[in-house]
Amino acid sequence: MMNRRTIGAVLMLPLLASCGGSGEGLDQNGRPINGGGGGGGGGSALTPDLQSIQENVFTPICTACHAGAAAPLGFRLDAASAYAMLVNAPSVEVPALLRVSPGNPDSSYLIQKLEGHAAVGGQMPLGQAPLPQATINVIRTWIQNGAPAPAQAIDMLTRLATIAPTENEVLTRDAPEPLIAASGALELSSISTANLTVERSASGEFDDSGGVTLVHGATLAVRSNDPTVFSIELPESERVPGNYRVTLRGTGPVPVLDRQGRPIPDFILRYTIEDIP
Amino acid sequence: MTARLRIVTLLAVFISILVCGRAEAEPWFAVQQGFKCSQCHVNPAGGGMRNTFGQVWGQTALPEEHLDTGEPWTGEINKFLAIGGNLRASGSFTDTPHQRSLSSFDLDEMRLYVEVRAIPDRLSLYVDEKIAPGGAINSEAYGRLWTSNHQWYVQAGQMYLPYGIRLQDDTAFIRQVSGVNFATPDRGVQVGFESTNWSAQFAVTNGTAGGSSTPDGKQYSLRAEHVQSIWRVGASVNFNDSTGENRQMQNIFAGVRTGPISWLAEADYISDDNFTPKRKQVVGLLEANWAIAKGHNLKFTTEYFDPDRDVSHDYQDRWSIVWEYTPFQFLQLRVGGRNYDGIPQNDTQNRRLVFAQINGYF
Repeated sequence: MMNRRTIGAVLMLPLLASCGGSGEGLDQNGRPINGGGGGGGGGSALTPDLQSIQENVFTPICTACHAGAAAPLGFRLDAASAYAMLVNAPSVEVPALLRVSPGNPDSSYLIQKLEGHAAVGGQMPLGQAPLPQATINVIRTWIQNGAPAPAQAIDMLTRLATIAPTENEVLTRDAPEPLIAASGALELSSISTANLTVERSASGEFDDSGGVTLVHGATLAVRSNDPTVFSIELPESERVPGNYRVTLRGTGPVPVLDRQGRPIPDFILRYTIEDIP
Repeated sequence: MTARLRIVTLLAVFISILVCGRAEAEPWFAVQQGFKCSQCHVNPAGGGMRNTFGQVWGQTALPEEHLDTGEPWTGEINKFLAIGGNLRASGSFTDTPHQRSLSSFDLDEMRLYVEVRAIPDRLSLYVDEKIAPGGAINSEAYGRLWTSNHQWYVQAGQMYLPYGIRLQDDTAFIRQVSGVNFATPDRGVQVGFESTNWSAQFAVTNGTAGGSSTPDGKQYSLRAEHVQSIWRVGASVNFNDSTGENRQMQNIFAGVRTGPISWLAEADYISDDNFTPKRKQVVGLLEANWAIAKGHNLKFTTEYFDPDRDVSHDYQDRWSIVWEYTPFQFLQLRVGGRNYDGIPQNDTQNRRLVFAQINGYF
């Protein structure tokens, strides 16, 4: 027979939980209002723009899982990745649907996941209370308005950055094509074979021209214009194991230009495709 | 909160709980019985498909009543092939401050397990496939080779990572915050050791939760557990430096049986270098499983989460009470409630959940 002391210990267990933190001096995301303590603030009213949605929804709620290398399905929603990972990006679970289809909230997979009627997987945020419909409606409005990029990104010096793969990442043959984001709008007509090159090397060295093959037929698939986000599509016949280098040159006689006609800094991405299906 | 208010709240939640929660920790079976995970599961680290012993135990020792169907189901189609599965469906009611209450019915998951015993007791191929809701998603798929004395094994493919107590409930703070749970299997190689009182695993994986590898590093997971008949203690460490992640985790965990009550505990310390300054988190769980009668278990759980050691007044906790009833083999019913407590300015951190769930297993 169990003694009363043990029963008492079990029944007292919830008391150990006490109550949550008082929240004194913190914003609604649990970050110090003065910005200290190693993280961003947030807590301003939610408005239908990506910066506000990032601060009030993606960062405090979604990045608990969707951040870093271990993000489920590689889907990251940190501030640096969210736009490129969302807008005009095919979902992994239902590739026929875009995560965010500008102007079409109903057909945006993000909305379907948040509202709980997606064809695959559970409602987000997983294991938590669903977002209030009022919050989802703000995200809907942002998408309905064309899913514009954060305002502060527009006037920045236009640079390219890889979203996936990361520099020197090793990929399998079925990995998605490289996804690259500009910090502003590129003049797409300035991109040509004169300034976009894709090379393949068996050794991983690109200095010795004898072992380097120029990959023909690479094309851009533009996902958004402002800021410009695009993937680089290789013909299936050229997508073979090897070390790859993608170069977009803002120097030389025919540079890649941004919408203001300014050459962009050179961009180089190296990655490897391994012989794994 | 005053002592009187706290008591009133506890009583109110306790009563509400008798009509509701989702806490699905199965490791208490092992603590109660003095077993290692490998006693009942194909995977020596626990979770997923049950082996022949686990199947029979789940049909005879676990339920209140065993309905006679002749030969027990063992999952073995023949000596080379075994199958199993789980179906979980639930109804829940969520009350979040300042928001409309939400009630819903959900199909949580339907899983199928298949083990091909190419060379029985030595070489096997294993698949854990979540087939519903929605499209099929592979959770685990690996091959495992045992040494002839069945003490050492190596497995390669996609697998759940060895770290801490393998709770079924992915929303438990210790599983959600660590990021090691049933939603984040990873690809790599694992070496394991099993003896009478020891169970240990070491895994090297991509550190990308099933995504492509990166050149920056790998994830290393080491877990060791010492098991005695009424108590056990273990520790885990995990280091992930893929894509500049640089996350270090370590925990200690334990279990003990006191009469009809099986206790589980885990405490984790997690640090992330990619925050400035470095972010340090603390997570803990304490759970009591009171086997009040054959087929009946009352589960009491309390959890703690400090999301940033450098920030004061931001901690969260939650506690749950769940009644688990297994009337007969292959069917378990769960009714429970869960209370979240966080900072008052965040409504989601202060929600309450009441739920009922059915779990069909074979």
